[in-house]
Amino acid sequence: MFDIDWVGLSVPFAYIAVLVGSLITFSSVYRKRKAAKSATLAPWFPPHMQRNIYLSLLHEEPADGQEKAPKVPESLLRAALLRRAVEDIHRIIQIRSAKQACSTLLQRGSVGDDLWQRFQRAEKEMEEELRDVVMEANALSNNWGQSIFQSANEIAANTVFRKRLDEIQAQTESEKVWWEKRRDSIKKEFLKEIESEGLSTPAKTQTSKVSSDDDAILVDSPVSTDKGSIRKKKGKK
Amino acid sequence: MAGTEYSYDEQGQFFPFFVLTIAGIVTIPLTYSVLKPSSDPGATAPRIKTDFRPEHADLIDAQRKAQKRRERKLKRGIAVVVGWATMALMAYLILVTARTIPKIWNPYDILGISDSASEKEIKSHYKRLSLKFHPDKIRPDPAKNQTLESLNDYFVELTKAYKALTDEEIRNNYQQYGHPDGKQSFSIGIALPKFIVTDGNGKYVILLYAALLGVLLPYLVGSWWYGTQRMSKEQVLIESANNLFREYSEDITEGGIISALSTGVEFQKTLKGDKAESGLERLESRVLAQGDMTALAGGLTAKDRTKLEDLEGGVRRKALGLLWAYLGRVELDDSALNQAKIEVAPIARALNASFNAIALAFGSTGPILASFLTAQNLIQAIPPGASPLLQLPYITPVIARAIEGDAKTHLTLQQYMQLPDAYRRKLSIGKGLLTESQYQTAMNVAKQLPRLQVEKAFFKVTGEKYITPGSLVSFVVKGRFVPPGSENVPEVNELDLEDVDPDEDDLDAILGRQKKSGKGEKSAKEDKPVQPPLAYAPYFARNYSPRWNVFLTDSKQGKMAVPPFTFVSFDKPIFDESGKPTFNMQTLKAQFQAPPQAGHYTFVMHLICDSYVGFDTKMEVTLVVDEATKAAEIEAEDDISEPDEDSLAGQMNALKTGGLTGAPPKKKKKPVAEESSDEESNTDGEEAEDTSETDTDTDEE
Repeated sequence: MFDIDWVGLSVPFAYIAVLVGSLITFSSVYRKRKAAKSATLAPWFPPHMQRNIYLSLLHEEPADGQEKAPKVPESLLRAALLRRAVEDIHRIIQIRSAKQACSTLLQRGSVGDDLWQRFQRAEKEMEEELRDVVMEANALSNNWGQSIFQSANEIAANTVFRKRLDEIQAQTESEKVWWEKRRDSIKKEFLKEIESEGLSTPAKTQTSKVSSDDDAILVDSPVSTDKGSIRKKKGKK
Repeated sequence: MAGTEYSYDEQGQFFPFFVLTIAGIVTIPLTYSVLKPSSDPGATAPRIKTDFRPEHADLIDAQRKAQKRRERKLKRGIAVVVGWATMALMAYLILVTARTIPKIWNPYDILGISDSASEKEIKSHYKRLSLKFHPDKIRPDPAKNQTLESLNDYFVELTKAYKALTDEEIRNNYQQYGHPDGKQSFSIGIALPKFIVTDGNGKYVILLYAALLGVLLPYLVGSWWYGTQRMSKEQVLIESANNLFREYSEDITEGGIISALSTGVEFQKTLKGDKAESGLERLESRVLAQGDMTALAGGLTAKDRTKLEDLEGGVRRKALGLLWAYLGRVELDDSALNQAKIEVAPIARALNASFNAIALAFGSTGPILASFLTAQNLIQAIPPGASPLLQLPYITPVIARAIEGDAKTHLTLQQYMQLPDAYRRKLSIGKGLLTESQYQTAMNVAKQLPRLQVEKAFFKVTGEKYITPGSLVSFVVKGRFVPPGSENVPEVNELDLEDVDPDEDDLDAILGRQKKSGKGEKSAKEDKPVQPPLAYAPYFARNYSPRWNVFLTDSKQGKMAVPPFTFVSFDKPIFDESGKPTFNMQTLKAQFQAPPQAGHYTFVMHLICDSYVGFDTKMEVTLVVDEATKAAEIEAEDDISEPDEDSLAGQMNALKTGGLTGAPPKKKKKPVAEESSDEESNTDGEEAEDTSETDTDTDEE
């Protein structure tokens, strides 16, 4: 029989045990943390209000004391579903436009990995959402699923367009005031010129040479408007 | 067994070598990194001289100094000093410690004869020596410190040496092992002091080893890894970059970008603790007060205002408020708030660089331009859409408004400086406006600002006459630095506008590319790149070196066509020693791949300096891409040096063109690409380039 030095032998085993143990602990802690982190990743999109409205309409709970839930009219359901589809269109556009940029930025190291994870999750969710909407649409009326996103797309485009129009329209008031003011100042200047010409006909005074401050500003303004208008023309070209 | 073969460094004679080497490996590169000239532009670049001190200049200067201190590498410096001290100590130890170098046993030396001595000579020599040194023959001489023993030893040595040279076996031993007695016990020295392995210290050594390998190494690797993970490529926290990506939208405006920048996680560090909320109310009331130039003092639009007010309290809201206060140069009457206001700007600039990268990845022109303009605004502390005149010292929104009159659009600096001096004076000096000396200071600064005036922009392929599909096209921008209000700007030298290919003996020739020799005289020899002066940004608490970005966009699709090329230095001096502009023609080159199809491509060229508002150039350029066959044909006509290929190429071409079109296409005489129009952006003045010079000449009396 060998004479085994158990104490001496235990040292390498203890070493291996400690090594492997610490690696295992590290990996499990790391994985748990990572999982917890990805579970708490903020969703890409805010809560889907239109979907929530549709679902709550669909699953109307009976009020207290009543046996049957109030019947939601079909047209209301359809409208709610269409609204939901419109919101989906917005989201899809966002995802499609961001996908390329997100992946290139991730490769370059300009954005983080968890953004990409969030993005992919949102993408998957959107796929599910689209499928769900198509199914719901088909359930509400035959073959509506094929065309619901077309109409939704048109609605979405129209909304965007109208919003922009409204923004431009909103500027009218301030523009009007400004041009009114401009017209007044030009008118005043003309009157002044006519007056000065009436007073001293031979001397063709250049208004820009008048030294008083008021005049200087008055003279200045048309000059700058001139420039502005030229610029605008150029810009429109 | 092992114990006998390894000897430890008991006298400590090798240990210093070991430590010296290790210390040297660490210290010498570190010393280089400490002493090497700083790449920080603030150290080398010239500055724009002025004696203007903005409000709170002390706060701004303090922050600049703090930044410098942060960059000073103090820790590294200490490490270098410690390293050199260790090395000196070790060198001293090496010198002091007596060395026990084993002598090489050489029988010839011992006998005192030359290596070439024959056996006979050896024998006779040994006999003579043995007569002289035999212990029986001589008496020990106490004066020479001799004893009987030492004499004996010496004689034994002599005998050994003699045997080694004469006896066959012993000679073999000597030749093989270096010793007449045969193999000697050999030892391997370990340059570690013995105390490391002595019994009592073993556990401490193991403990140290465990600490190094089990704690320090994982810690270092981990901190490095997470450090790189934490920062994005643009040197902002990755979380901020993620937030910015989420904030991106195709129709984002400059104000929107400012709001987006406030999502930066970096602000949490500067505004931690109670700083996140303190003074928020005062800050917002100041920022949202009635402004002098814009509706609100901070320069916010109504949209930006609702964005600010919709935010929940906390760091983001305060950061946004501070940013607007900074941009609007709003006085906050509170030193902590004012300091925070100055602090947020450099952070926002770094974040904006990240946003710029994101916008470039999306590739839409609008956001890209907006982010460049935001960089300008942040550096100059000017709200979006405010007058560029605010870049000059002493000019406040009130004065800028008075100068501009009631115009809808703003005067750019160049337009302002082109006004006749007397008229400009009248606009600017007066009660409530500038004083004479202030005016002079402002003019002085304006005439030092580096504005790059584009003279020509064209496409070319190096060494080719035509641009063929898929070739590597150089986009060449020729421009001069013409500070606003420069007088006596010389005419453009036509020769300067040409881009001469490098000669054949240049690097390109070595790379195997063929080209025709350059016509005209060679351009001035290439000097060291010249740095432009640091951005004149009295409110920005960092030294910033301006960058010029050239990129091409497709105006029809609203997309970027060629990503920006950034220029931080130029090949010719911008200002001479006395600070006068030299008006040297600078060449900016950007290379990209030509489109795969032939045709005319119209791009809009943007040249944007990220430090000055209103110095941008926008210009339409047309890229003409010709069929590959045409270029080949031209080559066939031109080249006479290579008849074999020539004729072959010519025949091929004739075949191709004949087959395709029937008649060879007409040879074009005009240059391949020219600038089609010099339409400039509205911020850049609408005058044509060549007329502008005459204008300045006559006007500025």
